[in-house]
Amino acid sequence: MPFTAEFADELARIVGHQHLRLGPGELAPYSRDATPLFSAEPDAVVFPGDAEEVSAVLKLATEHSVPVVPRGAGSNLCAGTVPVDGGVVLVLTRLNRILEISDGELLARVEPGVTTNTLSEAAEKRGLRYVPDPGSRMVSTVGGNIATCAGGLRGLKYGVTRNYVLGLEAVLPTGEIIRTGGRLWKDVAGYDLTRLLTGSEGTLAVLTEATVALVPAPSGGGTGVAYFTSLEAACGAVAAIIESGVLPATLEFLDRKCVRAVEEFARLGLRTDAGALLLFGDDGPAEAVAENIDRIGKACVAEGALEVTLADDITSAEALLAARRCSLPALSRLGSLTILEDATVPRPRLAEMVGRIDDIAERHELRIATFGHAGDGNLHPTCVLDPGDTGAVERAHKAFGEIFTAAIELGGTITGEHGVGAAKLPYLLDRLGPEQVALLRRIKAAFDPASILNPGKLGS
Amino acid sequence: MSGVFDAEKLGRCISCGFCLPACPTYALTGDEAASPRGRITLMRALEEGRLDVTDPASLEQSSFCLGCRACEPVCPAGVEYGTLLEQWRDHQWQGAARPVLARWLMALVSRAWLLRLQGLVRGHARGKGEPRGAALLLGCVERGLYPEVSRAARELRGELAAPSGQGCCGALHAHNGDSRTGGAMAALVGARLPGVIVTTAGGCAAHLAAHLGRERVKEFSEYLAEHEVVPSGEVRVAGRRARVALQDSCHLRNALGVFAEPRALIGAVADYVELPGAAGCCGAAGTYSLLRKRDSMRVLAPKLDAIAEAEVDFVVAVNPGCLRQLRQGLKSRGSTVRAIHLAELLAMAQRDWTLSKRKGDA
Repeated sequence: MPFTAEFADELARIVGHQHLRLGPGELAPYSRDATPLFSAEPDAVVFPGDAEEVSAVLKLATEHSVPVVPRGAGSNLCAGTVPVDGGVVLVLTRLNRILEISDGELLARVEPGVTTNTLSEAAEKRGLRYVPDPGSRMVSTVGGNIATCAGGLRGLKYGVTRNYVLGLEAVLPTGEIIRTGGRLWKDVAGYDLTRLLTGSEGTLAVLTEATVALVPAPSGGGTGVAYFTSLEAACGAVAAIIESGVLPATLEFLDRKCVRAVEEFARLGLRTDAGALLLFGDDGPAEAVAENIDRIGKACVAEGALEVTLADDITSAEALLAARRCSLPALSRLGSLTILEDATVPRPRLAEMVGRIDDIAERHELRIATFGHAGDGNLHPTCVLDPGDTGAVERAHKAFGEIFTAAIELGGTITGEHGVGAAKLPYLLDRLGPEQVALLRRIKAAFDPASILNPGKLGS
Repeated sequence: MSGVFDAEKLGRCISCGFCLPACPTYALTGDEAASPRGRITLMRALEEGRLDVTDPASLEQSSFCLGCRACEPVCPAGVEYGTLLEQWRDHQWQGAARPVLARWLMALVSRAWLLRLQGLVRGHARGKGEPRGAALLLGCVERGLYPEVSRAARELRGELAAPSGQGCCGALHAHNGDSRTGGAMAALVGARLPGVIVTTAGGCAAHLAAHLGRERVKEFSEYLAEHEVVPSGEVRVAGRRARVALQDSCHLRNALGVFAEPRALIGAVADYVELPGAAGCCGAAGTYSLLRKRDSMRVLAPKLDAIAEAEVDFVVAVNPGCLRQLRQGLKSRGSTVRAIHLAELLAMAQRDWTLSKRKGDA
């Protein structure tokens, strides 16, 4: 790998010595992101201050065939920002300004290092909403959300990040700066490179600016929770809700193990005798919300819910949402290695998929609890184990391999919202087939002829 | 494994990065190495021997961290970062690696007779009482710099004993790479003051609670709240109730979860104003403001902006380090806002204190 002292000098010339890190203790923190079990150290870390510096770094890297891994907050769960082949980690946290919010056009123009929460709050102050709502929004950056096409709790009614990206400024690995899309909802001039770059996980270009759509903030909201004897029953209710003509903003589930862990951790007063919990919510004008929530509650009762509780004020709604939001902390306290995974199946196969996960966990003697977005068929099987137990770690790898295979067999996919990264790359061929993987590689080569950008990930 | 760190505590971190937005030094730099998660990665590299104890970046990060523990309440996995930081500094801040000023201060505060002497000269609170009831911790810094705080506390609660030979709690040692001595000093204070210890310093409260048990230690506002004490009277400025903001003490808020009590007490005697970012560190961070003055001021700057914008008469602190930091910062900007300790504000209210005119109002 041709990273040399001369190359480092050139980096320093581009970004300045104060924005370049080369020492062992400076590099170690960039050896990992939020993905357990993946780590590899870079040779250098740079903090460019604008698109021109990004361009100069990439051009140099292409000339010398040195890998470059773009990184925001490093909160991804697919090892998307682990520098598996070394090289340069390109950190975009200095590009963290909101450049513009246009009320008239319902859009915002931001730099990639802005956190999703900062953008949400800025929009809220103007009576607007940035819709994507990933669980990591306090820390994750807009650039990272776009790179992974992040999902979240509002997917069912509003879609995910890709539905809100109007245009991008991106730097190609060869140094050219391009602007895709723009400020318009309607624009079909050329291939849709905005969509191609959204979810490309930093393998095609480095994002340096994004124009994202905003919506008027909804005037009201409501939330409720329903308990069922089994997850099958809960899934039956999900189908009944959708068939009743309501498309809730939020429709989340926790399995028995999650409900118990959450209650143990947070003491929210959840029923731990239930086999599953369904959390539902809607937003919009108060009357419409009340009607929808009522219909959802009735559908749950008709499907045999043990109990349905509605939140009549924001505080109790937040208490209910807290149950879903604290699934990860609750589970992570059961053991010190927590592997939070991500798979999606068609909505009607959800119960079957959870059943298969339970079987797989039992067969491999692992503790896997599952929660997720019932409305989207997107589930998060979460394995908790002791990192010192290498046997268990190995069994977990096997178990997750089987879980992804099961998802594909049921007509689903290996990741709904976390991304492929280095963690899921071994399963991508099974999901896409050889022809499509070959096409992906040709696309990758068109953008990145020297194959320097985030190697070991998509397109490799 | 080198055994520097408590393996279970170090293993708790799941690397999710939820701590990043809470960390003041990450906010300043955007650098993973300056975040709690990045620092834990450094600790792991040290523990596994992949990083040398002399590594300059690791040394720098162990010092750049404020130790404010804002990462703890937001951590999903319950990582005890404060303890890990103490272990890290124990490991790295040995011999010449420990700043000279820290060494000098540590030597100073571990001499109980010296504290006693400076306290007597400065006129700290004195009260016989019965130390088996509740005793007031006089503090090492507070005794010398702000003796009026302990006087105010005793003026409000005369039942508090205030023996002068109690020594220093050892937080300063624990935060500067000698947690063993820090623990021993806490135990000694615990033996000298056998009942409940009431302290007007958030940092001391957290350190003592960690060593003596939470039930033996009460921060002053917490003690008042438990005894349902509501000060009579109010603090007035120019014919109206004073507008008063609070700067949380990091250790009090993040380690002990006390933040509602001081707010309620201020609200009882004045108009309470919540500063944006009141929960965030002011940059004092114990000896930090002395050892890393420039970084300390960078952390403080946005807080001074917020204070200026809030148009308050007083900013209340519940820790002497914060009090010193705020006073210096406000003075450097020529602000008319006064920084005082909570005990002083409440004592002023008890005396029905009125400032007829704000300084600066012509």
